[in-house]
Amino acid sequence: MRHQGLERDGIAPYIFLSPLLALLAAFILYPVVMNLVASLTEWKGYGPMKWTGLANYRGMIADQAFWTSISNTGILVCYIPASTLVTVFVAALLREGLRGWQAYRAIFYIPNLLGPVIIGVVFSIYLRDDGSLNLLIKWAGGPTVRFLTSPSIAINSVGMVQVVWVHLGFGLIYFLAAMNGIDQGVYEAALIDGARFFQTLLHVTVPSIRFAIEFWVVFNFIEVFARMFSYIYTLTRGGPGYGTFTLEYGIFSQGFEKFRVGYSSAWSMVLFLFCAAISVLQIRLMRTRSS
Amino acid sequence: MKKLSAINTGPRVLVQLFLLLLVFVSILPLYNVIAASFKSENEFAVSPFFPPRSPTGENFVYAAVTARLLRFAINSLILVPIGLVLYLAVCVTAGYAFGKMKFRLKRPLFLLVLFLTIFPQLLLATQVFKLISLLHLTNTGLGVILTWVAYFSPFGTYIMTTYFTDMPYELVEAARMDGASPLRILVRVMTPLAMPMIATIAIIGFQSMWNELPFSLLILQNPASRTLTLGIAMMRGEYGIGVPALSAALVIAMAVPLVMFLIFQRRVTLGVTAGAIKG
Repeated sequence: MRHQGLERDGIAPYIFLSPLLALLAAFILYPVVMNLVASLTEWKGYGPMKWTGLANYRGMIADQAFWTSISNTGILVCYIPASTLVTVFVAALLREGLRGWQAYRAIFYIPNLLGPVIIGVVFSIYLRDDGSLNLLIKWAGGPTVRFLTSPSIAINSVGMVQVVWVHLGFGLIYFLAAMNGIDQGVYEAALIDGARFFQTLLHVTVPSIRFAIEFWVVFNFIEVFARMFSYIYTLTRGGPGYGTFTLEYGIFSQGFEKFRVGYSSAWSMVLFLFCAAISVLQIRLMRTRSS
Repeated sequence: MKKLSAINTGPRVLVQLFLLLLVFVSILPLYNVIAASFKSENEFAVSPFFPPRSPTGENFVYAAVTARLLRFAINSLILVPIGLVLYLAVCVTAGYAFGKMKFRLKRPLFLLVLFLTIFPQLLLATQVFKLISLLHLTNTGLGVILTWVAYFSPFGTYIMTTYFTDMPYELVEAARMDGASPLRILVRVMTPLAMPMIATIAIIGFQSMWNELPFSLLILQNPASRTLTLGIAMMRGEYGIGVPALSAALVIAMAVPLVMFLIFQRRVTLGVTAGAIKG
């Protein structure tokens, strides 16, 4: 039966898919493949390509900016556990039916609506050396914190803003929806047994939403590796120095500011490998979820 | 009926205080910008934090007219809806093919689409830029629209696919018995039934395109063709624009997404969960 039906819709599905596949081929597959070719050449983005073999990769490994980008991405990854803990914790609090929980959820979601560019510029004002946050710190008797102008602090500012602050609202909606699916009976049984908030959180809530947490972590990895450019461009333009370079920002800087497109394509290949790994992980999660 | 709760009344007050503090911390940067947008340069220099003493609207006029924000907003309001219509057409047809049709290459093609949903714009940027130049689409709306639709469709297709997969097959079967063509089944039978999910991906698509930066930054190099998002990104650091004027620009730019949220709040919320959790 199933074999007979395998092509029963004939050519129609391919016609239905053709707009999508044509766009993907031109704007995603072709660029990825050409990146590999370009990474083996010296190329300004226009004009002839000069074959240089692995020279770009050798240059990259010797490039301090590259390693700074990798370690900056690593620092951002370190914010993922913090973000997950805070978000699950606050979601569990809101789930207790506190007065106004829906209002809290809506307010925390606002940053996600505004989008990375507005958020980035808002914080570029708020976190200035003479900005409001530093003013508040000064009133509280603290020293000026160079949130965006110190290379070692700036990447952490990016992490706090994007990975923790922006994601809180998104995660609340996400986890509250997941927690909604928990069997109320299990939860109440735990309460009757005398379990308190942290015990139910640890023994009932977290195990029940394990899938959601796994997705959340993968989603955060995607954000850190593949969705940081707009924040960094508007917050710090990669600076100070290479202070907030990530792979994405490095590609932009080498390719579109210094016109070393061949070289930036080598960076792209590294980013491609990371993203491909995350993508495979995500697909596996989706498949275990649906089966 | 009162729900059982694991938190006693005493700690409840503490929890409320904690949440209020969190709201305060969370809102402060936005308050800061809104307050600044009504201050004169002089007042901002003296008092960057407190509410404006003598509110002025001149920053808004400067941002909208002199800094051409109005122009950029109109650009966005033209480009994004056109992009959205194409995006929906692509995602719905492809989602239907994956969700309800039988063909040999279904599995590998669907996996390919899933695989392509997360690649960052910057990874594709140089080659997309080259392609757009080859097609003579640099600085054109069409160039950026095509790029947006291509880049955002895989995720929309994935969501539509899961939705169509869950719909009863008898609907297709019945329409086929009546002799309807595949296109007719899609347009007349399935699309109306899928409207709730189409509305959800419409919001996701709108937000993605409205907020998109890297591609517009590279394709729309002529200042007059900038989108609102690109205009805001370029305004920061532009010579001669002060924080109050920049803040006014931000407040104007915030208006569109906030109004969207107020109108479509429920659907926006659904969009968050549509990607991963079903039901």
